Amino acid sequence: MSRCIAHLDIDAFYASVELQRRPELQGLPVIVAGSGPRAVVTTASYEARRFGVGSAMPAARAMRLCPEAVVIAPDFTAYREVSARVMELVRGQVDDVEVMGLDEAYLDLGGLLSPRAAMRRLVVAIREDTGMSASVGIGPNKLVANVASDAEKPAGFVVLTREQACARFAGARPGLVPGIGPKTAARLEALGIATLAALAATPDDVLAAHFGARQGPWLARRARFEDDGAVTSERIAVSESRETTFDTDIAGAHRLEEILRRLAGELCEGLARHERRGRTIAIKVRLDDFSTITRARTIAQPTNDAATVADLAVALLREYAPPRPVRLVGVRVAAFAEAEAEAASAPQLALPL
Amino acid sequence: MRGVPANSGHPRACAQIHKPYDSESFFEVSIVKLSASCQELLTQLQTVSRVASTRSAVQALSGVQLEAGDSGVELRATDMEIGLRVPLEAEVQRPGTVVLPGRLMLDVARQLPGGDVSIELRPSEGDVEVVSGPARFHIRTLRSEDFPPLPAPGGDTVVTMPAEAFVQTVARVSRSASRDETRPILTGVLVSASGDELRMVATDSYRLSVKETKLDAPLETGFEANVPARALDELSRVAAQVGAETIEIGVRTNQVVFRVGGVVLSSRLIDGQFPNYRQLLPETYEHELHVPGEELAGVVRRISLMAQKNAPLRLSFTEGELTVSAQTPDVGEASEPLPVPFAGEPFEIGFNPEFLRDGLESVASGDVILKLISPLRPGLIEAGDGSGFLYLIMPIRLNV
Repeated sequence: MSRCIAHLDIDAFYASVELQRRPELQGLPVIVAGSGPRAVVTTASYEARRFGVGSAMPAARAMRLCPEAVVIAPDFTAYREVSARVMELVRGQVDDVEVMGLDEAYLDLGGLLSPRAAMRRLVVAIREDTGMSASVGIGPNKLVANVASDAEKPAGFVVLTREQACARFAGARPGLVPGIGPKTAARLEALGIATLAALAATPDDVLAAHFGARQGPWLARRARFEDDGAVTSERIAVSESRETTFDTDIAGAHRLEEILRRLAGELCEGLARHERRGRTIAIKVRLDDFSTITRARTIAQPTNDAATVADLAVALLREYAPPRPVRLVGVRVAAFAEAEAEAASAPQLALPL
Repeated sequence: MRGVPANSGHPRACAQIHKPYDSESFFEVSIVKLSASCQELLTQLQTVSRVASTRSAVQALSGVQLEAGDSGVELRATDMEIGLRVPLEAEVQRPGTVVLPGRLMLDVARQLPGGDVSIELRPSEGDVEVVSGPARFHIRTLRSEDFPPLPAPGGDTVVTMPAEAFVQTVARVSRSASRDETRPILTGVLVSASGDELRMVATDSYRLSVKETKLDAPLETGFEANVPARALDELSRVAAQVGAETIEIGVRTNQVVFRVGGVVLSSRLIDGQFPNYRQLLPETYEHELHVPGEELAGVVRRISLMAQKNAPLRLSFTEGELTVSAQTPDVGEASEPLPVPFAGEPFEIGFNPEFLRDGLESVASGDVILKLISPLRPGLIEAGDGSGFLYLIMPIRLNV
């Protein structure tokens, strides 16, 4: 039996919550962004989007595009509250829900008699109960559902088969599809592959030659809207990270190491609270020209010890020796799943060194 | 790797390395013109480019430096930890120095049609012209100033010893060195030489290898140094390729320089005190079993196939018999008995299959002596032929 999956996405979620709390802002361009010179836009109301403001854009740039915008600092406590109510309504209708964030979820509609009607009822219920407007995409897999939910935002309701999705988005840029980022899109374009239809029609071996035996054919499958990912109710954490963007770029190695150590400390505190340990420690460094590198190293025993993680992170940073001023650093501990498998198996004893 | 932009002058510690491109100084130092055989170029590039850095922010470190001098041509590569200098048999028309992109140069050399190849720097273009038969390449060079000088052979203490003895000793212990950079000391092999004895020790804290090798002739002077295992593995590879009789070892405060034939391999030494391995070796053991080494290694190799996902290998000793077994949930299980001269209270001990295999395979041939105390105490594998090899291995705590 073919699957039926919905992607539900609240429209301009943070901005909508803010508008609800301050009705006087209705109809005005609203931007939810932190303060500070490096803040980015987390959400923009549709009024602000008309000026070209988008998510993840530096707040300073958003203000240049739309000087009259009302900027509101994010209040995640409020967002989490509304999100919890939305997800409760979703779970009232559907058993298998994969929550992807505060404002989106995949729903497995396989067991429902009339999935479309159920989803329309859900959208109405969400609007009545929380005041939030939601867009819904329905398709045979998560990929079609995701792209469909985005196609007619806000308050969209789009149902597509895989073939219809292929036809409808044939002329769209490959970057439309989640999983094909700007870098991959640029490399595709350099190869003369500018549309999803072109990508779908590109032979696997050509793609494999440029993107590797795994990623190449996977790209074409994405372009054909093929996806067999399941809706998994529990998302298993495989890594945790902390990163920070500086108000001004930092060139001094000493200062960077200090910050990296602090981040490692915070990260390990969180890990310890959840009794998580990882074997892979990684750093992320973004330079002032926006190039971003990551460096990782895997150690023998899983850890959440702040000193161990900090020492390794600093060693990785020294090895890389950033050639330019640094804009952002981050530290990550990964490979939890493995750590758990290891804990389940028998412990290796060590020499008293 | 990201390329370093030519004009990124930032007031930083490493700013000097990235000073703006200065074509004039380039002009002065580097005028190279030489010819060599394609095969020779490929062979030597293959050797040298193994140590070129693959992940440094300094692009020149991914390159191979070519120096054409009056005494011949040398290829050099380094990742700042290990440096390698390899001679290239060539006819030099004009001496000079140039840094070539290592990976690309190797790919080009591999595809050259054969016969002779000529390499000539074209300073005004900032590239080298590589010509072999009808094929012609222009390959942009990397920044020569960024390539560090590599040490010359020699040192405070210089020892010459048979290459075979040195390489064989490395082969027995280097697998036990740690790859965990959080404890740099354990990533090295402690190399000690004095009198007619060469000794190497390595441990990753789960197992410890010690090999003592008697030299045919006593050394004039001795030394002790913690050398990165990687450098020794690389040296072994070079020695096998060069086929030299002896290795010259020059030890300095924080550096060691090996010379094998015409090749010079240098490495930084690892700082700090290597653990005192003697106090880790138990003084007495409960059980001492002589077991045919090949046979036990074979059993362990077979049964290990069923010890996946970190599952331990179980060694169950009963009167006159050892049963090696393993099981992995959802995969399967295996067991195989082997007659051994065991007597006493039966017991069971668990080991990491890979560690146990490494130990058994490092015993070159003949009997192994298995020395055990109890399920949670270290076990010792010893070469039965008195060849001076010890392998201490920590058990895995079994749940049952």
